[in-house]
Amino acid sequence: MRSDRPPRLAYVRFTSCCGCQLTFLNCERELTQIAERFEMVSFDMASSRADDGGPLDAVLVEGSISRPEELTALLALRRRAKILVAVGACALTAGVNALAGGDRARLCEEVYGETAAAKITFPPQPLSRFVRVDLEIAGCPPERGEHLKTLGALLHGGLPSSLPEYAVCMECRQRENLCLLLEGKQPCLGPVTRAGCNALCPSCGVICEGCRGMVAEAGRGEEFRLLLELGLSEREVKARMGRFTGVFDENR
Amino acid sequence: MRTVKIEPLTRVEGHGRVELRIKGGRLAGARIAITESPRLFEGLLLGRSLFEVPALICRVCAICSAVHRVTACRALEKALGVTIPPLAAKIRELLVLGGHIESHALHLFCLVLPDMEGTASVLDLLRKGNAVAREGLALKALGNRIQELAGGRVIHPINVEVGGVLQRPDEAGMENLLAELEGWRTRLPAVAVPFTDMDRFPDSREAVGTRVAVRGETGFSLMGDDLLLSDGRIIPADRYRELFREHPVPYSNARHSGEGKSPFLATALSRLELAGEFPEGMTLSKRNGELAGGIHANNAAQAVELFWVLSRAGTLLREILEEGERELRVPVQPGSGIGTAAVEAPRGLLIHHYGLDDLGRVAEADIVTPTALNQAAMEAQLLTDLAEVADETELVVRAERIVRAFDPCISCSVHLLRLV
Repeated sequence: MRSDRPPRLAYVRFTSCCGCQLTFLNCERELTQIAERFEMVSFDMASSRADDGGPLDAVLVEGSISRPEELTALLALRRRAKILVAVGACALTAGVNALAGGDRARLCEEVYGETAAAKITFPPQPLSRFVRVDLEIAGCPPERGEHLKTLGALLHGGLPSSLPEYAVCMECRQRENLCLLLEGKQPCLGPVTRAGCNALCPSCGVICEGCRGMVAEAGRGEEFRLLLELGLSEREVKARMGRFTGVFDENR
Repeated sequence: MRTVKIEPLTRVEGHGRVELRIKGGRLAGARIAITESPRLFEGLLLGRSLFEVPALICRVCAICSAVHRVTACRALEKALGVTIPPLAAKIRELLVLGGHIESHALHLFCLVLPDMEGTASVLDLLRKGNAVAREGLALKALGNRIQELAGGRVIHPINVEVGGVLQRPDEAGMENLLAELEGWRTRLPAVAVPFTDMDRFPDSREAVGTRVAVRGETGFSLMGDDLLLSDGRIIPADRYRELFREHPVPYSNARHSGEGKSPFLATALSRLELAGEFPEGMTLSKRNGELAGGIHANNAAQAVELFWVLSRAGTLLREILEEGERELRVPVQPGSGIGTAAVEAPRGLLIHHYGLDDLGRVAEADIVTPTALNQAAMEAQLLTDLAEVADETELVVRAERIVRAFDPCISCSVHLLRLV
C-alpha cells in the first residue's frame, strides 16, 4: 500500500451505537494528522463527501449485520477493500445486539406494532459470518489507541500485530489491582476476557463485563463455578457471561 | 408529484433519509425516515436483573451513553424508592455535563461548521488549519476528559450504578480540570460566537412546535421531576405517556410523537426558551419574542448553553472537592416497582421508564428519546421553511441543514417501546 498517494479509507457502520466511529472522532489530537495522511472516501457520520465507489485500501466496519441491505453493502465493501477491519463488539461477536437475537418478528411487533411486518431483520451476526476479516479491533467501546495503531500500520502498508491472546487478569495483575473476583467477591469476567484494554474497568474498581470478547481457551467452566459460588443464580451468571459473547463460536 | 430522496443523510449521528415530495415545482410534503436497524433493546432487558440495566442500556447510543446510563439509574432508583448520597448525585451530574460538552462540540464543530465553511467535513477544515475547528476539538476533548474522570470511561461510562456511583473522581484530575475550565472562560467566546451569528445560517421562519423540557429543580437545570411546556403546562414526568402519544409510522424505524397537529420540540433551544433568562447573561438576537434564526437558533442555543455547562461543571468540581461526606452508594434491595426519570440529553428531553417484578427483574421498559420526539417537528419545519424554494439543489442543501440543526441522534431513536 505504501505509495505517494494517501491511503483511501472508509469508515462504515451497520447495526450498532456509533461508539466505534465516535472513538475515531475522539482522537481529537490526532485528527489533523489523520486528515492529512488519509483520504476519507466515505464516513457518513462526519463527512458529506459522496462515496466515489472506487477501490479502498482499507475499510473499518462498525456494527453487526441484521438486515439484507446491510449484508449487500458489506459484500460490496469487501469487494472494494484490500483490508477489512472489524471494529468493536458488534462487528466481532454481534455484541449486545445478539441479546435481541431470538424471535425478531415478535420483538419487532412489540416495538413497532402493526408496521413491523415491513421491517425485514434477522438476528444480528458478526461480520466474519459473511466475509473475510483481516483485523479485529475488540471492545465496547474499542480503544482509541488501537484505532491509531491500526492507522499507523496502514500508512506503512501493513497491519498491526493481532489482539492479545491472554486474559484481562494479566493486565490487572501488572497494574497490581486488588482482585475483584477473589478478594472483592464480585462477578468479574477478567479471567475469561481478552486483554488489550489495560484492565481499564478493574483499575477503576469496576468488574470486567467482558466487552472485548472471550480469550482463546477461556476457562468458562471454572468461571461459571466461581460466579455461582458468589451466590448468583445460574440464570444471572449465564446472562452476565453472555453479555458480549453474542453469536459465539465454540470452536474458536 | 415526485419524490426527492436525500440518502444517506450525512453529518448526523445515525442512518436516516429525507424524502421531499415535490408537486408543481414546490415542496408539498416532507418525511424523515429513520433507517437505522432495529436493535430491540426491550428484548435485551426483559427478564434481566435491574442491576444489568445501566450497563446494557448505555449501549443504545455512544454519544448519549452517559445520560442514558444516569437516566436509567434514576428511573430504577425511583422504582425502588432509593435515595442516593448527595456526593453521588454531583458526580453523576458532572458526568452528564461532560457528555453535553462533548456532544455539543461534536455537533457544532464537526457536523455544522463544515456547512458554514462550505466544506464536506471537519477533516477538510483541519487540513486547512481552521482555527475554530481546532479549538472546537479541544473543547470536545475537555468534555471527554470530564466524562472519563466522572464516569471512568469516555464512552459507555462504568462508574454509575443503581444506588449511586462507585468511585470518587481522582483528586488531582479534578484540580487539573478546574484549572482548565478556568482557562476556557476566555477561550469559549471565540469559538461559540460563529454559531450565535444568525446571518451565517439560512433563513428559517420560526422554530415550530410546542417546546418541552425538564423543569429544573432550581433555575436552569438538566434534571427534574416535571416537564415544562411552552403552552404553560407543567406535567409530572411519570405522566409522559399521556403527553406524548407515540405511534409507529410505516416508513420509519423510530416512532412518531405528536399531539394532534402541533409537534413537540425537545432541543437545547427549547431548554433556553423555557428557562426564560439565559444563563451567564448571554444574549441572542430576538424576533417577535423568539430567538432569530428559526430552528438554526438551536445551534446558537447549544453554543450559549456551553457557557452555563462549563460554569456549572466548575461549581460541581469545587463542591465535590470540598464535600466532607464520602458516602457514594447506598445498598439496593431488588424488588418490585415502577419508576420514570426525565433528564435533558444534549439534544433534548430523554425519558426512561421501567417496571420491575418482585425479584427486581425488568418486566417493562420504555425509552423516549429527543430525536423520536422531534421527528414530527423536523417534518413540519422542512415544510415551513422550504415551501417557497423552487430550485431543487437549494432545496436539498437547505433540507439537510434544517435536519442537522435539530442535532438528531438517530442511533438513539430506534430504541422505542410500544406505549400501551
